[in-house]
Amino acid sequence: MTALRMLLMVLLQAFILRDVTPFGEWTRPEWALWALLLVPPQASPFLKLLSGFAMGTGLDVALGTYGQHMVAATALGGALPALHRLFSPREGYEITDRPTLQDMGSSWLIGFTLIAAVLYHLVLMVVSNWYWQLLPSAILPSLTSAAFTTMCCVVLHMMVYTPDRRNPTH
Amino acid sequence: MRNLWLLLQRNAFTLTFIALMAVSVSVLLRNNGAARSSWFQKTGAVSSMIDEQRHEWSNYLHLSEENVQLAAENAALRSQLLSMNMADTWREDTLLGWSVRSGMLIKGPDGKPHTLSLATPGRAEGITPGMGVLAGGAAFGTVEDVGEGHSRILTLLHSGTAWSCRIGKGGPVASLGWDGRDVNVLQLNDVPRHVQATPGDSVFTSGYDLRFPPNVLLGTVIDSERKPGADFMKVSVASAVDFNATQHLEFIIHRADSERVVLAQPELQP
Repeated sequence: MTALRMLLMVLLQAFILRDVTPFGEWTRPEWALWALLLVPPQASPFLKLLSGFAMGTGLDVALGTYGQHMVAATALGGALPALHRLFSPREGYEITDRPTLQDMGSSWLIGFTLIAAVLYHLVLMVVSNWYWQLLPSAILPSLTSAAFTTMCCVVLHMMVYTPDRRNPTH
Repeated sequence: MRNLWLLLQRNAFTLTFIALMAVSVSVLLRNNGAARSSWFQKTGAVSSMIDEQRHEWSNYLHLSEENVQLAAENAALRSQLLSMNMADTWREDTLLGWSVRSGMLIKGPDGKPHTLSLATPGRAEGITPGMGVLAGGAAFGTVEDVGEGHSRILTLLHSGTAWSCRIGKGGPVASLGWDGRDVNVLQLNDVPRHVQATPGDSVFTSGYDLRFPPNVLLGTVIDSERKPGADFMKVSVASAVDFNATQHLEFIIHRADSERVVLAQPELQP
């Protein structure tokens, strides 16, 4: 399911949503992050890492940006276990917990997604610009893009995981 | 080996992460010109710095070998210098009034004490008695008499002659002669006792006898003999000329030869 979701989001970002940038480079969202961040916290660290690598590879192939998303997504995949530990509740994750709005709450989801998005966008910024003198001017657009990506992910969560679908009895 | 395996297992995630990042970065570098340029610019600077350090260390570590090699080379050069024939040969110098005329030796010295040699040319070519004769740039003898086409040469190997010379170019003047015994050894007489005569030192003409210009090579010192109580010593000299192999001669002519000869004559008392 995770793989299918990831493939779908990669294709959506590459072929449909790639030009959804309301304020140009200041709001360049990474829609596929939503799929990667849905990898359950209880999953193996290797699965998280390989998921990130796979997503990056898919994005690069689809977008023609060979290597940039691979590096950023692999970095995020490698950091996901640490992020999950960092954001884990005091009593730890339940076995059924999923990183969704309903299970983890809005503050957890927004915080977790924002940190992950900032990491992803910063790495992407570095590998996109490369030269140190270009980085200062690229930091702010990266941060705003990370915020926009977070917002998009929350919207997707709200669209896909409605309370009714999660728990029909309520 | 087992420990290594355990270590790898313990750090499998980190190693996998590094491997995947390496793959990603290599893909990026392969396909992104700016990234490749920047990467090689940075790594090139680092690698050149490392290479430079390595080169310096390598040079430092090879210093002892270089030292040995240099010492050997130094020794070889010193031997070559010591064994080298340091004697220069006299060349024609028209600015100082000296010029040369070539000739051929017809009959050379035979090793007997009073043998004279014959050469061409003679008077017809401007050869006059008293001229110095060179062989290979070194002193050979002097013209004793001239015919129309031939000259009679008094060589260094004539026991009745004496040649004004000095050891080195600045030594005191002494008289060189031949005792008629060994054709390879000439005798330098009346050398002051204090003069340093080391085997190998060059003996040059002084120029005082008017036959040769100064500093024409005569031979090299073989040995010196100091007798107790004597003020002078005897020095054995090897001639610079190979009398058995000489064929080509050079007659030394001075532009103002007649004037010099006249002025050098003892003044007649009125």
